[in-house]
Amino acid sequence: MRYEVSAAKAQVAMVLDLNKCLGCHTCTVACKKLWNTDQGTDYAYWNSVETMPGKGYPAQYVDSGGRTASGDVKRGRVPNMDAEYGRAWTFNHAAVIATDAASGTKEWLRPNEKPAWGPNWDEDHGEGSYPQDNRYFYLPRLCNHCTHPACLDACPRRSIYKREEDGIVLVDQDRCHGYRFCVEACPYKKVYFDYQRQVAAKCLFCLPRVEEAVAPACARQCPGRLRYVGFRHDRKGPIWKLVDEWKVALPLHPEYGLGPNVFYVPPLSPPKLDADGRPLPEMRIPLDYLKSLFGPEVEQAMATLTREREKRRRGEPSELMDTLISYVWEDNFRLGPNAREVL
Amino acid sequence: MLQKRIALIVAPPAMQPGGYIMKAYADRGAPETPEAEVRVEAEAGGALLIALAWACAEPQRSMGAQTDRFVDACALLVPATADAPWITMGAPGQPVEAVYWRADRERPWRMRAEGLGTMQRDDAPPGWSAQGAWDAGRWRVRFALDAWEALAVQRRFGVAVWQGQHGERAGLKSVSDGWLLLG
Repeated sequence: MRYEVSAAKAQVAMVLDLNKCLGCHTCTVACKKLWNTDQGTDYAYWNSVETMPGKGYPAQYVDSGGRTASGDVKRGRVPNMDAEYGRAWTFNHAAVIATDAASGTKEWLRPNEKPAWGPNWDEDHGEGSYPQDNRYFYLPRLCNHCTHPACLDACPRRSIYKREEDGIVLVDQDRCHGYRFCVEACPYKKVYFDYQRQVAAKCLFCLPRVEEAVAPACARQCPGRLRYVGFRHDRKGPIWKLVDEWKVALPLHPEYGLGPNVFYVPPLSPPKLDADGRPLPEMRIPLDYLKSLFGPEVEQAMATLTREREKRRRGEPSELMDTLISYVWEDNFRLGPNAREVL
Repeated sequence: MLQKRIALIVAPPAMQPGGYIMKAYADRGAPETPEAEVRVEAEAGGALLIALAWACAEPQRSMGAQTDRFVDACALLVPATADAPWITMGAPGQPVEAVYWRADRERPWRMRAEGLGTMQRDDAPPGWSAQGAWDAGRWRVRFALDAWEALAVQRRFGVAVWQGQHGERAGLKSVSDGWLLLG
C-alpha cells in the first residue's frame, strides 16, 4: 500500500539557471567537504555537475529504473560502484616519494589502476561537430526533495520521511537497515548507500543551515550566482517569480510524476552554422533534446527567455533578466521574511 | 527431535509496505531457495541447537566497499504470543521474535516485530550464537540459543533465507510455509 504523505506546510525549493553554470564544480566541492568525507560515502556526490548531453552520474542513471516515462513504478537498479559511480582513485604516492632523484629515474604520480569511469568523466565532451553544431551545457543535480518522493515510498521500514515544516526529505539512519530500495526507486539516483555504516544517505538540503535561514552550501558557494533558494509558494521570493510567474524554471524529468522541487532555467545556445559558417535560425542544443529533459513546457520557457533577453538588448527594462542576472546576490535567497545572507 | 526438509515459498511482495516493492517485484514467482533442511540437534535445560542448511551456488559473505552487493542471511522466527501471525511477522499486540544470522557478522541479531516494517534489531543476548559455514554449494548455519522463552513456550518457529546473489534482503526472501513445530 502506498504511504500517505502529508502535504508539507511549506516547501523549500531551488532554481538553477543553466545559462550561468560554468562547470566549476564549486557547488560539488562545497557539498562534499561539508557532508561526505568519510569512508563509505567517499564515492558519493550528493551534488554533481554533469556535462549534457552525457551519461550523467551515476552513468546512464536515466536507464536505471525506478519510474517509467509515464510515472509508473518500474523496478530499478542499485548502481555499481566501479561501472556507474566510479570508485575514488588511489595514487602511487609512496612510489613517487621513494623515487631516488640521484639515480635519474622518475616515477610519475598516477592512479594505481587505470580509471575507466568516474564522476565528471565525460566533462565537456557533448555532441555535434565543430564548428557547425558542437554543443554541451552543465547540469548541476541534487536531490529534488520531491513532493511525492519515490525513495520514501520504497522503504519498507518508513525510514525516509518528508518534513512538514519545510518539505525536506530525510533518511532516519537509526531506522534504516540499508536495504537500498530507495536507491533503486529514485529515478534521479540521488540516494546513496553508505557501505561503511550500511545505511542510506542523501542530500538534506543543508538542513542545519536552512533552519538558520542560510542557503545550502552548494547555492551559497556558487560563484556563478546561478542558484536561487526559497520557499515554493513565497510570492515575494525568487522561486515563485521564476517558476510560477515567469514560468521559465522547470523540473528535470517531470514525466516521472514525483513533483521535483528543484527547477532549471533551460540553456539558450548559439545558432547552428551552415557549411559556409553562416548562422542558421536554429539553436545548437536541439529543442527536442531539452524537451526530453524538462518536458514540453521548455519551448514556452525558451521563448520567454529569448523575448526578455531581446528586450534587455534593446535597452528596455526586464524584471526577469534583472532577476536572472543577480545584480544583488543576496536576493537569490529568501528563506525567512527578514533573512539575508551575510557576506 | 525435528529433522526434515522443508519447501520454502516466496514471501509475497504484494504485502510489502509502501508502493514500490509490491509493484517492482510483483513478478517474483518461484523462491530463490526452494528448499531448506532444518534440524533440532539438541534441547536441554532451555538451550537449543538448531541447524539450518540450504543450497547456495555463489555465497555472498560481505558487502565490501560495494554499493550493489547483498549478503546471504537466514533467520528463525518465533511467535511471542499464541496467535501471532507468521506471514506478516506478527501484528500489533501479537509480536514475533527472531534470531537473524548474516554472513558478514560474527554475532547474530535478536529481532522483534509487530507487523511488516516494524522489525527492531539488537545484539543477541550472550547465550545466543550462530555459526555459518559454506561448503560444496550449501550454507549450514548452526544456532545455539540459550533461554529463548518465546520458543520454549510456543514451541513453533518459522524459517527465512535470503540469497545475496539474487539481491534478496528485507521482504525479498524465501520462507517456510507457516510455523514449524519444534517437536
